[in-house]
Amino acid sequence: MFGLPSWVLPYLGVLVILGVTWVVATLAGLLLGSLMRHSAPQVAAAARRIGPLIVWTVGLLLAVQEAGLSIEILAVVVILFGIAAILALRQPLENLGAKYFSDVYTPFRVGDSITVAAYSGKVIEINAMSTVLLAEDDRLIALPNSLLMREAVINSSPKAWKKLTVPISVPASADLARLENEILKSLGKLRVRLDKRFPPTVVVKSRTDQSIDLILTLMIRTPEERESILAEVNRRVHGALQASRARSNAPPGPPPGATAPASPPSSTPGAGPPG
Amino acid sequence: MEPLTICVNSQTPLLQFLPPPEDTPGAAWPGSARLDEFDEGVEYRFSPGGVTRMVYPLLRRLLANGVLAGASWVALNSVGPRQVRADGLTLENVALDPLRMGGYAKTKEAIWSTVHGLEPPPAVDDLFWSEEFTEYAFYNRVTAERIRKLDADLDFDAFYIHDFQQMPVGQMLGSLKPKIFRWHIPFEAERIPESWRELFVSYLAEYDVVVVSTERYRAALTTLGYEGKSLRMYPYVDPREYRRPTKKVVEATCARWGVRPDDLVILVVARMDPTKAHDRAIQAVAKLVPAYPTVRLVLVGNGSFSAASGGLGLSKAARWRAHLEAMAHRLGVGERVIFTGHVGQEALDCFYERAQFTVLPSVNEGFGLVVVESWLHRRPALVTERAGIAELIQDGENGILFDPDDIGSLAQKMRELLDDDGTVSARLAQNALVTSKLCTLARAARGEAELLAMAIEA
Repeated sequence: MFGLPSWVLPYLGVLVILGVTWVVATLAGLLLGSLMRHSAPQVAAAARRIGPLIVWTVGLLLAVQEAGLSIEILAVVVILFGIAAILALRQPLENLGAKYFSDVYTPFRVGDSITVAAYSGKVIEINAMSTVLLAEDDRLIALPNSLLMREAVINSSPKAWKKLTVPISVPASADLARLENEILKSLGKLRVRLDKRFPPTVVVKSRTDQSIDLILTLMIRTPEERESILAEVNRRVHGALQASRARSNAPPGPPPGATAPASPPSSTPGAGPPG
Repeated sequence: MEPLTICVNSQTPLLQFLPPPEDTPGAAWPGSARLDEFDEGVEYRFSPGGVTRMVYPLLRRLLANGVLAGASWVALNSVGPRQVRADGLTLENVALDPLRMGGYAKTKEAIWSTVHGLEPPPAVDDLFWSEEFTEYAFYNRVTAERIRKLDADLDFDAFYIHDFQQMPVGQMLGSLKPKIFRWHIPFEAERIPESWRELFVSYLAEYDVVVVSTERYRAALTTLGYEGKSLRMYPYVDPREYRRPTKKVVEATCARWGVRPDDLVILVVARMDPTKAHDRAIQAVAKLVPAYPTVRLVLVGNGSFSAASGGLGLSKAARWRAHLEAMAHRLGVGERVIFTGHVGQEALDCFYERAQFTVLPSVNEGFGLVVVESWLHRRPALVTERAGIAELIQDGENGILFDPDDIGSLAQKMRELLDDDGTVSARLAQNALVTSKLCTLARAARGEAELLAMAIEA
């Protein structure tokens, strides 16, 4: 075909499959990001990561098959390994999953007083496996996170219903001050639904070399509006995050707001913008 | 305790760099520089007020006596090098573009005016939910991020954050290291609107210790609902900075500003700002002039960092001075009131020496260190009862207190001192000199060292 040697054709097929996979994975990421703009930013971010990953897995298997290798054995090994891992790590995985979802959906935070089944206390730690309570008699109670997803959780902190917390994860390279500024500006439009004594706050929960985990906190006025406000907040945060991502993909330029100290036009190396 | 490395943060920078003329060829601020590379008065000047009088000498003292091994000082400064090294300190300048600066300045002025009782508080809609408030948050976030990056390199032992402008920094830093917050302006519970209190307390709760200037302010913290650790520390000056010039130098210096040898000088040393209530002093002096035609009211001081062109660029100092000048002329005492603007330490010493007594007329004053300066010059002080330092004054013993809204009473108290044969003034000055020992740098340095130790060892 096209005068190419026959041995080239399978490799050409592999390249075509990889190319199509790249296009589909990119589209899947964008589509999921758009579809999930009302969801919690952390869930939307996870979907944007997992969707393309699945596409790539399928694409790579097809590419392997196109290269003339049998994928059946490979697929069986992967499936068996997966089943074994799930069986062996069922409990930890359940806790890990529960932790992930509890971060987003469970209405309690460190510092709140909660009751779960027969256990009551102040939440002092939420780790990957368990939520640790400090009971009134100074005992520590470690509740598996999976229990918190199965059992009713009573949060008895004063006005716990008012507090709306939204976890947000951004790349470590993000311009945090500007992102926060845009989120706060955008949420100002919702103030009629919020307790006006408390402007939204953004605190940094943790940082790694790759990402910054933030917690956005708002105080709502009416308990029944909690869900709808959360959806709207998610949408607005999503918009700010998209703008931030677009900025970081754009060619570099001076960041607005934080500027270099005023200098005459011939700027000196080293006199760059502050942190 | 091992010598510590700390990070200090204040809005007002220690140094205000003066923009070079626009046509200076090839002029540019270096990214990092030593202070001795610049000329004082030509390329920079020290900011007037507490940062130069208190924070800078304190840090130098703590560095000299080995409490500190190093200190970085992060402040808002849009003009000048990004980093300046001076006397073992590293000054880190945070710059904001003018648009964001405007929003930040508007928010902090609204808080400042309310806390000082100058204006009714804005509605929460107009404050916490305004675009300007997001710029206030922006500035604090930029500052917190700068501090965090410095901490990553220098591994500070503690953070020392100064004044209400920087209140959110503690929350934004998110560091587990000790954080101290010093509140400098008045802290009266009744002046902080109900709708602001929980937010303020939530900011303050992020610090390990909150330091205020008087016992009254400390009690107000509790009234507001703050449950953390608090401490009262009187502001301070270094008495060695205050010299008594010779009579000849005093007369020559004062003559340059039009003070005549037979003038009875009443001195007000205060920033040109409505809260300093120079107008009360002018009105009281107007009542005295018929009986004391040689009385002269000397007003020393100009705008703060907020009013400086290299600072926040607010024009309230110029507006206030114009208002005062017009008032003095309207009252027929335009000739009797002298506006000196900013003067150097030597000239200031001369004015203190030349004065019969000093007046602090503020309608609200966080503390009132100029009163201590007056005491160090052995000059009695008439002090508004709304100043923090009023807590240290026993009326008629080491100073004279007055209600700044009662001009007649202020004029009467001035009259009594002008009529004094020297006996009352000498007793007041002697007792006040003893009181001034509570407000010295040496005492503060010991207190601050203990504070740092307490915060770190908790």
